[in-house]
Amino acid sequence: MTTLAATPAPAKSGSNAAFNDKGKPMEVRLSNMVAAKAISDAVRTSLGPRGMDKMIQTSKGEVIVTNDGATILRSIQALHPAAKMLVDLSAAQDVEAGDGTTSVVVLAGSLLGGAEKMLNKGIHPTIIAESFLKASVKAVEYLTEISVPINLDDNAALLRAATTSLNSKIVSQYSSTLAPIAVQAVRRLVTQTSSNVDLRDIRIVKKVGGTIEDTELVEGVVLNQNVVVSAGGPTRVEKAKIGLIQFQLSAPKPDMDNTVIINDYRQMDKVIKEGRQYLLNMFKKIKKTGCNALLIQKSILRDAVDETALSFLKKLNILVVKDVERDEIEFLSKSLGCKPIADIEAFTEDKLGYAELVEETSDSGPKVVKITGVKHKGKTVSILAMGSNNLVLEECERSLHDALCVVRCLVKKRALIAGGGSPEIHVSRLLANYAHSLKGMEAYCFQAYADALEVIPTTLAENAGLNPIAIVTELRNRHALGERNAGINVRTGLISNILDEDVVQPLLVSTSAIELATETICLLLKIDDYVQAR
Amino acid sequence: MSGLFQRDPRAGAFLGGDRVSGQDIRDQNVIAAQSIANIVKSSLGPLGLDKMLVDNIGEVTISNDGATILSLLSVEHPAGRIFVDLAQKQDKEVGDGTTSVVIIAAELLRRANELVKAKIHPTTVITGYRLACREACRFMQEQLSIRVDVLGREALINAAKTSMSSKIIGNDDDLFAPMAVDAMVAVKSVNNRGETKYPVKAVNVLKAHGKSARESLFVKGYALNCTVASQAMKTRITNAKIACLDINLQKARMQLGVQIVVENPEELEAIRRRESEITLERVRKILAAGANVILTTKGIDDLCLKEFVEAGAMAVRRCRKEDLRRIARATGGTLVSSLANLEGEESFEPTLLGTAEEVVQERISDDELILIKGTKVVSSASIVLRGANDYMLDEMERALHDTLSVIKRTLESGSVVPGGGAVETALSIYLENFATSLGSREQLAIAEFAGALLIIPKTLAVNAAKDSTELVAKLRSCHNAAQKANAGEPKKAYLRYGLDLLNGQVRDNVTAGVLEPTMSKTRSLKSAFEAAVSLLRIDDAIQCVPGAPGVLIV
Repeated sequence: MTTLAATPAPAKSGSNAAFNDKGKPMEVRLSNMVAAKAISDAVRTSLGPRGMDKMIQTSKGEVIVTNDGATILRSIQALHPAAKMLVDLSAAQDVEAGDGTTSVVVLAGSLLGGAEKMLNKGIHPTIIAESFLKASVKAVEYLTEISVPINLDDNAALLRAATTSLNSKIVSQYSSTLAPIAVQAVRRLVTQTSSNVDLRDIRIVKKVGGTIEDTELVEGVVLNQNVVVSAGGPTRVEKAKIGLIQFQLSAPKPDMDNTVIINDYRQMDKVIKEGRQYLLNMFKKIKKTGCNALLIQKSILRDAVDETALSFLKKLNILVVKDVERDEIEFLSKSLGCKPIADIEAFTEDKLGYAELVEETSDSGPKVVKITGVKHKGKTVSILAMGSNNLVLEECERSLHDALCVVRCLVKKRALIAGGGSPEIHVSRLLANYAHSLKGMEAYCFQAYADALEVIPTTLAENAGLNPIAIVTELRNRHALGERNAGINVRTGLISNILDEDVVQPLLVSTSAIELATETICLLLKIDDYVQAR
Repeated sequence: MSGLFQRDPRAGAFLGGDRVSGQDIRDQNVIAAQSIANIVKSSLGPLGLDKMLVDNIGEVTISNDGATILSLLSVEHPAGRIFVDLAQKQDKEVGDGTTSVVIIAAELLRRANELVKAKIHPTTVITGYRLACREACRFMQEQLSIRVDVLGREALINAAKTSMSSKIIGNDDDLFAPMAVDAMVAVKSVNNRGETKYPVKAVNVLKAHGKSARESLFVKGYALNCTVASQAMKTRITNAKIACLDINLQKARMQLGVQIVVENPEELEAIRRRESEITLERVRKILAAGANVILTTKGIDDLCLKEFVEAGAMAVRRCRKEDLRRIARATGGTLVSSLANLEGEESFEPTLLGTAEEVVQERISDDELILIKGTKVVSSASIVLRGANDYMLDEMERALHDTLSVIKRTLESGSVVPGGGAVETALSIYLENFATSLGSREQLAIAEFAGALLIIPKTLAVNAAKDSTELVAKLRSCHNAAQKANAGEPKKAYLRYGLDLLNGQVRDNVTAGVLEPTMSKTRSLKSAFEAAVSLLRIDDAIQCVPGAPGVLIV
């Protein structure tokens, strides 16, 4: 590694006092930038309502067709470390805002382009990084300024935001179905005072069959599992008392090392009978509480139910669902208002949940267990997502997730801004004006930052098959004339007041995109050496 | 070390694996889709031909069914796989029309690609296609479909005949079509929410080779591909009381972890006796309940057989669980998986038994079958297929499945449309007129959609070795006249005109009895549209290197 340090700096003419970069760090920087820009180019075409999809064949051979930036980046193999940072950036945006995963990467790519120009001017990377950070703070300020505060009771506004998010997805034609679902789901969970929504309380159950139009918000709970019917037990229970149990309903087996030893034929009957008796005692306890629907947690050690148990259950008219996953227990107990029961001794009535109806239906194709009319319902929501095949279904779930996130963003920060590239142009114009009031290298950097923001409207126009230069300049012109809400109307290919077109997005999506993208590229800029550790 | 960065990084890809973008990937997808469609193209229609597929272990399949052919191909290209899925989906949802859906989708995609090359944005094409698809379905529902109740049973048989015309059993449609209709009508059931269902699976299709296809029989009742467990048993029982068991009637064994230790030699005999007694007690309980036909999914050993023979009962072992469940439902019995009752003892209630008029073992070719006739609760249907060899039987079964599905759809949706390219031509004319009424870019896409639909009559004519250009032109002129005509004019009847492939003419396909369920047509149009669109939206394909994820190359 000594050779590394000893790499002679190419002597530049000393007259330029500003910043003399050594050759090697510059190369590292450029390599990082090029790699990061390659990633941003890869997702660029999927931005916006007219964005296209990517078909990705993963290393395992499965095919994914998607439009979601985070999913694309997660699935491709980014090799360069800098490229990986952009993948992480998109993942961070996914966590923070849930939507705008494509735009954050596109923005980062464009900011890097701006930074590269500044570097070529001989400005020191740390100055660029600092100015960019300052510019981002300023940008967020401008964005907040033009945002429109909303009330969570304003259903129409929430719907508009969710629809805008869904319109850029493969499932856009179903946005009228999915957007109300997303809005409803979140609204059920929030109160006027809540500042966040735990998306774990919204469960999306996927079933192949039917079409996306059959996707619905269920009044109650939907289960991933089906009812066990091999012994002909009931598939419909009214006035259900639901027990969520974590033990098994099967005859006990002796431990591995222990064996039961029999030396008399009378004892043989006893063994068989004891097994039955053991089960029967359990069922007597269960029956005594009036329980008539059982959800059994999955166990790897023993069968959840054996055949004798199933026939008992049938005789007692108890509905059984088995293989409930460990991590579902919390959600189920919360939403059914019941407590998980770990042992038969603890099986008491107060731990049961009550519902009007537990039923396995197959209205739109696949069999689904629905629990409706839950009495002590916790604050949870179940969404039943349907799709004709797995590819569509997965994409439907991802889009629904994005839409939920958009609504969640509005809960976190109750403000909307316009879409269609309008806020970016607005901020870019104000930043450029602000840059004129600055002195020194900062002024250049602010100008570069302002220019870089224009990538969003440019890309929107490009993807829509419009002339980006004509569109973006007209947009700038309109904004300069004071039309703050002018944006690209992708449907007609013209500039119009984007708020009239109902294209809106949460403020948080844009601000978090700007903050995250800026921070990431500042980090990239400050790297000046690359050492591969073994 | 400084060489590390000397390679121009701008030339290198920073993504693992291959990436194809833009027009290249669209072309690739179109080629993949076309090649899939070309494989099945020649099997469309009544004069379409079959394919012989040989897999890598030498297994031969002969088929005319699009879904079957495609499922046996090993398709590498992801776009191709989407098309294979498309056919499978159609097969699952409708059961018929698998070939045509693939052909239409490929044609839609090809024409869309031409439009994109002519500088029309893919999303514009998609919007146009969506409009066209919606309009087409609406037109089909409103103008072309005919209620089945107007046409009656004849319509069902005709729909069945149309479906099988392209298949191996097409020559004997006068035998099979009524058979299939009878079978489906027999299994009609009403579920607990009052919906009428026609489960295709409830029609039991058995295959027995030997004799000709014309000797196939329809059995009113349930046929089981099993024989009685012992030759000494009766082979005919009238007024049968049937016990459906999911219990092993063999010598009882102790469960794992229980050891029997014998200290006294006399004990040994006692234990052995007890082992068999446990099961024999069960058998006696079942017999005491009055059962004279015992069907079980598991085994019966000799000891128990003796018991059954002495009681004059018929016992059948190793039946399929699915069969028993249906028999239980049809006879009003219950499939019993354990004799244990709530007192902790074992018992068998007479209410668990199902009843049937007659259970008889009959010999059909080399195989003996058990037929359960005159089931009490639900009537059931079985079809025993006969044929020269196994390949033929397999294909007959597939063809019959398609036909049964078509009948089911016709019964459930209640309406049919004329076949033989009539619908496609009518829609094509309608959409062309519709396109000219629009003044935007979508017009072109709708016109292409209209053109793409003509691929069906064209292919039908080509497969029948007729002059496709002339026939399609004739057909189009008929439909144009029909759609221009006002309601009530005689020309309106031209709307039902389709191809007569045997004579190379156009004719009224409703009177000729070429009918297809409306639901099958709308579904296939929608699925074809969806598949074409999902491929059209793709402008980038990234193939990751299989195996090693994330190898660091700088």
